[in-house]
Amino acid sequence: MARKKLRIGFYGVTGCAGCQLSVIFNEREILRLFNLIDVSAFPFIKEKNIEGEFDYVFIEGLAACNDDVAVLKELRQKAKKVVALGACACAGNIPAYRKYVSRKNYQHLIHEKTKRIQDVDPTPIDSHIAVDYFIPGCPPDKSEILKFIKEIVLGKEPRQHESPVCFECKINKNPCLLDEGKMCLGPVTRGGCNSVCTNSGFECWGCRGIMQDADIKLMIKVLKGKGFSGREIKQRMRSFTGLKIPQLQFIGVKK
Amino acid sequence: MRKKTKKKAGSRTKSRVEKPEVKIIKPKKSAKKSSIKPRVQSRAPRKSAKKKAVPAKKAKADGAITLSHITKIEGHASLVLNIQNNKVKKCELAVIEGSRYFEGMLKDRRYDEASEITSRICGICSCAHTVCAITAIENALNVRVSKQTEELRKLLMMGERIRSHATHLYFLALPDFLGYESAMQMLPKFKKQVHDALKLMKAGNEIVKLVGGRDIHPVAATVGGFHVVPTSDEIYRIKTELQIAKKTAVATAELFAKLKYPDFSPEATTYLSLHNPFEYPILHGAIKTPEKLFKKTEFHKFIKEYHEPRSSANFAVKEGKAYFTGALARVNNNSAALSQTARKLLKHSKFKFPSRNPFLNNYCQAIELVHCIDHSIAICQDLARIKPEPLAAVSVRESYGIAAVEVPRGVLWHEYKLNSVGTIVKANIVTPTSQNLRKIEDDIKAFLPELLASTKDRDTIVLEIEKLIRAYDPCFSCSTHFLDVKWG
Repeated sequence: MARKKLRIGFYGVTGCAGCQLSVIFNEREILRLFNLIDVSAFPFIKEKNIEGEFDYVFIEGLAACNDDVAVLKELRQKAKKVVALGACACAGNIPAYRKYVSRKNYQHLIHEKTKRIQDVDPTPIDSHIAVDYFIPGCPPDKSEILKFIKEIVLGKEPRQHESPVCFECKINKNPCLLDEGKMCLGPVTRGGCNSVCTNSGFECWGCRGIMQDADIKLMIKVLKGKGFSGREIKQRMRSFTGLKIPQLQFIGVKK
Repeated sequence: MRKKTKKKAGSRTKSRVEKPEVKIIKPKKSAKKSSIKPRVQSRAPRKSAKKKAVPAKKAKADGAITLSHITKIEGHASLVLNIQNNKVKKCELAVIEGSRYFEGMLKDRRYDEASEITSRICGICSCAHTVCAITAIENALNVRVSKQTEELRKLLMMGERIRSHATHLYFLALPDFLGYESAMQMLPKFKKQVHDALKLMKAGNEIVKLVGGRDIHPVAATVGGFHVVPTSDEIYRIKTELQIAKKTAVATAELFAKLKYPDFSPEATTYLSLHNPFEYPILHGAIKTPEKLFKKTEFHKFIKEYHEPRSSANFAVKEGKAYFTGALARVNNNSAALSQTARKLLKHSKFKFPSRNPFLNNYCQAIELVHCIDHSIAICQDLARIKPEPLAAVSVRESYGIAAVEVPRGVLWHEYKLNSVGTIVKANIVTPTSQNLRKIEDDIKAFLPELLASTKDRDTIVLEIEKLIRAYDPCFSCSTHFLDVKWG
């Protein structure tokens, strides 16, 4: 059954390259994986990046300068499907947290730039182009990327994980960090990460985004009951996926 | 405050052609054209670029060479060269990542959030940022951590250096030397080498995952210690795996000793690295350059930063001069502290250290791979009786702290000012790549005339220059969080 291999491109705009590394760090499987698909572009590790149409383009990073926006638009035209890879592409991640920081905090860092690298509002890629799939997480679990690629190769429709981090955390038999007085966002955060942070005793910061039906109000109430101030809670919730939690605007303290 | 140092000759052009195509443009015209209509990116594939490409045979090197997006590096950078009558008229390296202003976002955050936030500056050196932020905060708050914590942090950093060097050497640098476009293309003929790369990356990743809790952006380390520590069985398992990986590391060092590096020694190069009398530096030590040894706290006395409109990253200079930081600097300054096997390999190689040849940074990384594995095995032995420990006590106060640690690409600086309740009021981060940036540019300028004397083929010129840039293992994500802080 010789099917035509999927033409796939891996690109990055402004970001940390961690998600692209997560692809490569599948040490055991990567060579076989690259046999299954046609990696026609991967500028991070390839010199010759073949132009033309892509079946899928994975994009890491967020739009932070003019150059990024232009790249995104160009890629969208060339790709049948666009996949947002990682928290920056999905929700803006920490760089987009800048929107909630007063300008005077970073005013001194701004300098004159040529038009190509002029700043734009730090925004996830779906603010500029249509995105077909999201792989959340900072970084996404490397096996998750693998699973996604396997599914598209098989012609299955990839689906988002539909249970909170708490679910996996309990399966992993971790002690509850909320009970320990830490500001853990596990109850409202989308799982699928095998609760990697809480396994190490580090509270969930919500890098994978908020569950669709999450009760943010209740979460804030619980955290306030633990003695955290509204400001601290908002800072934390906005760190990774603030732009995708519109509810926060209406709750508690102002910006 | 913006500081301007030497102005570069020539106006700033911003034309683009996707690598590896080389476009010849009449310099004047292109400058004018692009100043009116700034052209953007060619990171994305471009059909049109191909049509305009000039055949590689073209024997004259005159004209402008623009590498709009240099591939096989971490992050995004461009290079504009202008050559006329075999003379270099212009050479501008620019980082074209968007600025992320991390230091601005650290303000108003709690002291223990710094490590989690700064780790997002870079994927490949996330452990470095985490550990450096923690060390700087501990320096500010005068926190004393246990020996076990110190050892675990070193192990974490070693793991990261192993995987970073392995990725750079095999995936980014080696294909150039063997004449391939990528490691994947090398597979049929160099299967063993590609598998070696993956083995070493795996060894490094295993360490980071075990000690840091996650492959990228580690979570277990925090101010005062580790939330969770591995068990002695897990440490033993890592040790066994490292002992197996050592053979591969030695093979890597032998492979990189055999490669043919261009003979290039730029004049008057300053090498900057940490140095301490007890070990090959990771976390501790004074700053060593060929001329002097100075303390970390004297950072602002010696190192200054400035920026340029064409680049979103800034450039750092030591007393007005470019300097080099990274594996070559470490080996130059500390070769006596390398592990026995690494020293032996170094001694029997055809290279003499200290060396000024930036291409040898590749070889030094390969030597470091061997050293890091040896050192990690030694740490694992020390950690044979590892046990969970409570975090060291932290009491917040108004304070200032600085840390410099050796990370895969050189010395990383973090400094923080905290207020009385432990909130960050000022942060400053200087990454290895922004320190190397100016040196890379200077080296290209010095290397080009030598190159032009030996070849006129533009493809060769471009390849050699890319090799030079990649030899530095630049990480442009790191360098563009942007900074320019005045300390009062």
